[in-house]
Amino acid sequence: MLLRKYWEVYKKFVSTSVAVETSFRTSFILLIIMDIFFFFSTITSIRFIYDHVATIGPWNKDQLLFFITFMLMIDNLHMMIFSQSFWEFSAHLKTGSLDYIILRPMNTIFSVFFRHFRASSLIITPLFIGHLIYYGISLKLDYLAWVMIPLFVILSLALLVILEFILSTSMFWLTDGLGINFLRMQFQQLARWPNFIYQSLTRKVLSFVIPILLIGSGPVHFLIDHTHYKLLLYMGVAVVAGLFILANLWKIGLRRYDSASS
Amino acid sequence: MNQFLINLDKWWITIKISWVKHTAYRLNFLLQILGPAIVFLFVKYNLWSAIYKGQPDLVIKGFNFQDMIQYHFWAFVVGLVAQGHGAWNLAEDIRMGRISSYLIYPFNFWEFHTASWISFQMIQIFITTVTLLIFKSMGIIQLPGSSLFIFGTVYTLFISCFWFSIQYLTGLISFWLEETWILRVSLNIVATFLSGAIIPLDLYPEALVKILNYTPFPYLSYYPIQIFMGKISSPMELSLGIAIIGIWTLALTYINHLIWKRGIKLYTAAGM
Repeated sequence: MLLRKYWEVYKKFVSTSVAVETSFRTSFILLIIMDIFFFFSTITSIRFIYDHVATIGPWNKDQLLFFITFMLMIDNLHMMIFSQSFWEFSAHLKTGSLDYIILRPMNTIFSVFFRHFRASSLIITPLFIGHLIYYGISLKLDYLAWVMIPLFVILSLALLVILEFILSTSMFWLTDGLGINFLRMQFQQLARWPNFIYQSLTRKVLSFVIPILLIGSGPVHFLIDHTHYKLLLYMGVAVVAGLFILANLWKIGLRRYDSASS
Repeated sequence: MNQFLINLDKWWITIKISWVKHTAYRLNFLLQILGPAIVFLFVKYNLWSAIYKGQPDLVIKGFNFQDMIQYHFWAFVVGLVAQGHGAWNLAEDIRMGRISSYLIYPFNFWEFHTASWISFQMIQIFITTVTLLIFKSMGIIQLPGSSLFIFGTVYTLFISCFWFSIQYLTGLISFWLEETWILRVSLNIVATFLSGAIIPLDLYPEALVKILNYTPFPYLSYYPIQIFMGKISSPMELSLGIAIIGIWTLALTYINHLIWKRGIKLYTAAGM
């Protein structure tokens, strides 16, 4: 019953977001072009490097491209479902318009972070899926890997957004949360590369303290070689621990919020 | 003469006000301007370390590990000076109807934003100087001869003028377009990829590099890095870069002037 209520509300969020986004057609088209160019420039850069080297770390070209495509797929879903809401959240805190969101009879995290949907990202999702399948075939993934990919995409996206939600709670303590959004994007940038490129200490910190490297490296290492399941276990722990930390930090943050407009 | 001094005073005061504005939220400034550049450098350092790991004699298109790292540290320095300014407020000023004030003030829209950009550049130059001193003292980068270093610095400042002109242009497009940040980010992605800021252009296919040489992109990152690394030093090559960026900047300034004249006719002063 509760889920149904939230689903109905979410459908409204999506329909209003789509209506707003498609009313500015030029921006809508430019967004699509921008995302496509970003995708191809990232893939092409990797290809150019592999024109001169056989491997990077333990991975060959197809393995790294599979990883990068997996991460870009997560990025695409993140842009579609959450990205806009983070920027709006810092504006809500600054102007005090968060008051109206808090008053709604539903979970505030849901109200804040699921409010905006980007339809332009949905349009290019097949591009990401197609490339993921293409590189998956190149790697000759087995049945288990193919079955697990959709689940891992959801799990990775969940870990990414939980970490970002936690980071965003720091905006409650700042006058302007814009910088936090840029910090959030830098974490995404770090996570876009496999864990083995980082030196030992950095790798440990970014895997176990701020576990952003688990987002891609956890699932993809397992998909390529099923004996590498440890990172995946850490990832599960990180999601559960992250949810617990978020729930508590969010409550403290809301108590700290003093409403700029009232 | 008196009028000139009064005008100069306006510029100086606006630069000082902008300086205060830029540095008011220091954490934001750090995360917004320096953070992305530092993380980009950090990722590239780690990536190339992983590529060269265990192969100390590996040379990729003339780049050994030290050369490659130097290349990326110089890319960081050039990026800080040339590309740091985002001109975020420009489009918002137009969209929110805030340019009405500039139409009345004795200091116009272009003058205000240019003064703001100059103050930003002063901060960036200070940060870059400190960064360079740190890199140099750690032995990460080798400075070229003094004449090449001065030329490279002047050339990089030229590129920053080019970037400001193009950012100003994208801002002015908000007379017609609701969201101009998309244009700005797109331009950044294209320029970063095609200018050699991600990987040296030497690693690109030759045919692509030949085409790129007809565009201003290589002159935005690859070319100044080559100057700082001492790989471009002939007067002919040096003046070519200045000429190309100079022509593009002048052309953009003229286009901006035309667009402003057309755009202001559409301006509705929203909210007034």
